Amino acid sequence: MDPILVLDKVSYQYPRSPQLVLRDISLQVGRGEFLGLIGPTGAGKSTLCLALNGIVPQFYGGRFFGRVAVAGLDSLEHPVSEMARHVGSVFQDPETQLISTSVENEIAFALENLCVPSEEIKARIPRVLAAVRLEGMERKHPHELSGGQKQRLAIAAALAMQPDLLVLDEPTSQLDPLGAQEVFAVVHELNRELGMTIVMASHAAEEMAEHADRVALLSAGRLVRIGTPAEVYGHPELLEERTLRPPQVARTFYLMQQRGVLVRDIPVRLRPALDALDTLSRDCRIDPPTTQQPPTQSGGALLSIRNLEYVYPDGTEALRDVSLDVGRGEYVLIVGQNGAGKTTLVKHFLGLLQPTSGTVAVGGTDVRQLSVSELARSIGYVAQNPNDQIFNSTVGDEVAFALRNLRCPLNEVEERTLAGLQAMGLVEQRHQHPLSLPQGDRTRIVIAAILAMRPEVLILDEPTTGQDFQGARFILDISRRLHQTGKTILVITHHLYLMPDYAGRVIVMGKGTILLDAPIRTAYHQVDLLRSTFLDPPQAVLLARHLSERVGQDIPLLTPREVADCVVCDSPEVQAP
Amino acid sequence: MSKLGLQSVGRQSLFTRLDFRSKLVMVAVISILAFVWESPIAGTALALSVITACLLAGVKWSYLKWVIQLTMPFFILLILTHGFWNTTQVKLLTSREVLRPLFTVPRNWWLIGGASMSVEGVLYAINVISKMLTLVLVVPLAVFTTDLNNMIVAMVRARLPYKLVFIFSSTLRFFPLLFEEVQSIVEAQRLRGLAVEKMGPLQRVRVYARVAVPLILGAMARSQQLEVVLQSRAFTGSPDRTYLHQSTLQSVDYAVMALSAILLVLAAALYVGWGVGKFSWLL
Amino acid sequence: MTEQPSGEEREIKVLGGAAIDGAPLAYVVVLAAVVAGLAFIPLSAVIGSGKSFPMSQAIFPLIGWILGPVAGASANAIGALIGVLVAPHTTTVPAATILGAFMGGFGAGAMAGGGSRRRWWLVVGVVGLLAYAAYAGRAVLQNGVGVVAVILGSFIDWSALLLYLLPTRKMAARWIGGQDLGKLTAGLFLGTWMVAGLTHLVSSTIVYYVLNWPAPVWAAMAPVAPIEHAVRCVVGTVIGAGVIAGLRAIGLVKAKFAAY
Repeated sequence: MDPILVLDKVSYQYPRSPQLVLRDISLQVGRGEFLGLIGPTGAGKSTLCLALNGIVPQFYGGRFFGRVAVAGLDSLEHPVSEMARHVGSVFQDPETQLISTSVENEIAFALENLCVPSEEIKARIPRVLAAVRLEGMERKHPHELSGGQKQRLAIAAALAMQPDLLVLDEPTSQLDPLGAQEVFAVVHELNRELGMTIVMASHAAEEMAEHADRVALLSAGRLVRIGTPAEVYGHPELLEERTLRPPQVARTFYLMQQRGVLVRDIPVRLRPALDALDTLSRDCRIDPPTTQQPPTQSGGALLSIRNLEYVYPDGTEALRDVSLDVGRGEYVLIVGQNGAGKTTLVKHFLGLLQPTSGTVAVGGTDVRQLSVSELARSIGYVAQNPNDQIFNSTVGDEVAFALRNLRCPLNEVEERTLAGLQAMGLVEQRHQHPLSLPQGDRTRIVIAAILAMRPEVLILDEPTTGQDFQGARFILDISRRLHQTGKTILVITHHLYLMPDYAGRVIVMGKGTILLDAPIRTAYHQVDLLRSTFLDPPQAVLLARHLSERVGQDIPLLTPREVADCVVCDSPEVQAP
Repeated sequence: MSKLGLQSVGRQSLFTRLDFRSKLVMVAVISILAFVWESPIAGTALALSVITACLLAGVKWSYLKWVIQLTMPFFILLILTHGFWNTTQVKLLTSREVLRPLFTVPRNWWLIGGASMSVEGVLYAINVISKMLTLVLVVPLAVFTTDLNNMIVAMVRARLPYKLVFIFSSTLRFFPLLFEEVQSIVEAQRLRGLAVEKMGPLQRVRVYARVAVPLILGAMARSQQLEVVLQSRAFTGSPDRTYLHQSTLQSVDYAVMALSAILLVLAAALYVGWGVGKFSWLL
Repeated sequence: MTEQPSGEEREIKVLGGAAIDGAPLAYVVVLAAVVAGLAFIPLSAVIGSGKSFPMSQAIFPLIGWILGPVAGASANAIGALIGVLVAPHTTTVPAATILGAFMGGFGAGAMAGGGSRRRWWLVVGVVGLLAYAAYAGRAVLQNGVGVVAVILGSFIDWSALLLYLLPTRKMAARWIGGQDLGKLTAGLFLGTWMVAGLTHLVSSTIVYYVLNWPAPVWAAMAPVAPIEHAVRCVVGTVIGAGVIAGLRAIGLVKAKFAAY
């Protein structure tokens, strides 16, 4: 194997930081290889990505040990602008990494900096646009592109430099499922068809297992393991120790193994897992547990929508003919692509949008009769970006902010603020500036601030975007605790696999209408309907579907554990492939 | 494009063919004339020419109408203030002792009874209005007819420092994002119980002001990522680079620049020599 | 560092990113975008005046304190320019808006200059004096407005200029640079009064050459303008205090000539 990237005992320490972020990392990547980088938040993945083109340490400074070489070029001996020619970079935030006013200018920008003649730039633009399937978009403004298109444009801009290596740092974490699929498809094609070498950091375990040739697991700056997806993801215990999530198929078969089913090689991709399940279902008994639907709510409708239609001032029809009741104490999941109308829908409960036609009622009162601040007392809304929801200079003030606005008596402000801080584990930080805390903590500040108003309903809009598995679980666990105390919870998220432990009911939206409104066990198993709106059901559900077909009985299971539990092998000799 | 970008005319014309540099020269000359001329006749003629040129260039009448409607209250205010109270200056400019009254408010009216609106004052207001119209509408004439790419390259060719040109173009890219962010911050505040409608003026002002805090801090935090993106795109801020788009001066550009210069010289000569463009000209 | 890495330590040439006068270019870009964005957010001033001014006016000084004189002036002027290009109808005289913004950034950035920059404030002061002479001079000498009316009507302009020329300039700069929260607030209010006042002076001078409003307008401005300016200063102070506290908390690298 001809290595294009060589890391030799690389260690790095940021200036003003007491410890190393990368520790003794050595690895090689061969030409045409696809290397996945995984690890919890703070493991050093982003720093490693930045070290490949010399931004670490040439831009940041600090202390650097060892050697990084790309195509034989030492990352410290060549300026970043020269390394950039060999290493194309794509980052997480689709907005910040597009800096030009049109698609073609975006692609041209780096080439102009490298003094490539304009004829040559003109020749390259259509080529790279074709490679990322954005043909004919040359004159579009970045504002006119979807999230997935923006990320593909960023890839095209990197490709235009004809790099030896393409580095992508969590390129899909802020995209909806469709956008993420598009980006993975493009990266896969670049790798397989054009032989582009790829290094990609991502939390998307299922996709990583599907596309990567090798996976490197980082933890606390160290390279803990590197190997084929099977060698890394095939050991769920290794990942779970580090609060990472293996692909659901791997976890399912791992759990079976734990229960004594002999599984020689844990599959990490869907197809082999289905084959393995075939073998098992031949040799073992499939004993589906009796699942129970969550009890239907008896509290009566708290939120009620009748024939809602909403048209934006520019004429875009965002919602049409939506009718919906949410009962007191329900936990509802709302899913759908960006632009399906999810946020537009919940903004009607908050009085932020007024129906074009139809009615919206909260607790039996038409929202048109209530002001936003009145509604805010009963409905708490945690929007996507915590930074847009922080206005004060200390965590304590932030939590008390709403209470002061609502003119609570002083002692009550104090009491409720403290309660909110305690619930979110933020008491010690109450005098700190919110922005001095990490991003995950800021989301908790916002939740504490919303909870201080003691709303009856809590709406979480994409609370898990940009969070790693542990962070996402933390927030959802809070929502479950609140649900257990009788609050009504609405969660909007793209991460279907996270939700079986929490939600009871699922609303699937598409193009401004409700496509499906059903208990989670029913909804997740409407595979064709979900796929028609580009939502991929969790792998555990697909395994359960597969089992259902094998045994000719509906098995509405949702999680790896449930699927693992229903395979019962009496004789230990039976072996899965 | 949306209201958060530069608007552009949908039609080809002399103005869309011109290079941005020659348009800038033209704008400069027109602005100087508007600034210097005090004659309501010359001023109105200039404003009407700019409006006509806008229409010929494809700037929509609805847009012009909207701008005029928007500024109309201010124009009326100008006519009233200048008409009633601009006496010393117009007497000086016209070297008249007495101004011609247009009408006089009946004596028995409260407060303003007996005030007289003068012809000269109103004419002066017309001069001011035409100045404003010219100065404002010359912007869409030059900008809405220019492709952004040409504008940027033309700025570089006009020897503006590349870094400034870069700031200009990337600001155009980013400010709509910030504008959107303002909306979501305002929403977030309202959802935390801020009822602006129930507040006193001072409190309201402070609440509004707070919107800018997360906006600026968010932007500064984002600038860190931007920095990294720029680095990875081989950006050094050096003016030594190539450009995808071109900006070349054609003969028509030279003609426009020459004509503008001649116009300026001519106007200066007429102004100094014969008082053409002074307030009292032809009055 | 608790452990010794096995790789050999390398010598690093820190190149940093592109900058304008010691302010990272990326800072200038995002703050110019903030100025442009806030140019579209009207701050309806207090009762009575009925006029409104864009929120961007209140942050011109702050941008100068964050970025320093040259980069601050660039960010303000380009932000204001973009506001004008995108929506020409929002200004009375486009050039006045842009030059006023430039003056705000430069004036604020020059307040605390030391070393070779310790006289930069003088340039601002002289420009301010010339502008005031042109402004008030035209009113009194050419348009026959009474001296008292002009002085009352331009209270915010001359008071700003005076505060800027006196040691109050240095004092405000010191307060803005210090850790004391009370003084920071006072410094921001005082500093915004001076610098936003200079912005007002420069743009009013240009606008006055076009509009030539007669005497009663000067009289009408006398009570309204200070209230409006006070609003601007309150806004500038609230924003400045929040932003500076936040910037200190994030620990962002300061621009070389930042004042906070």
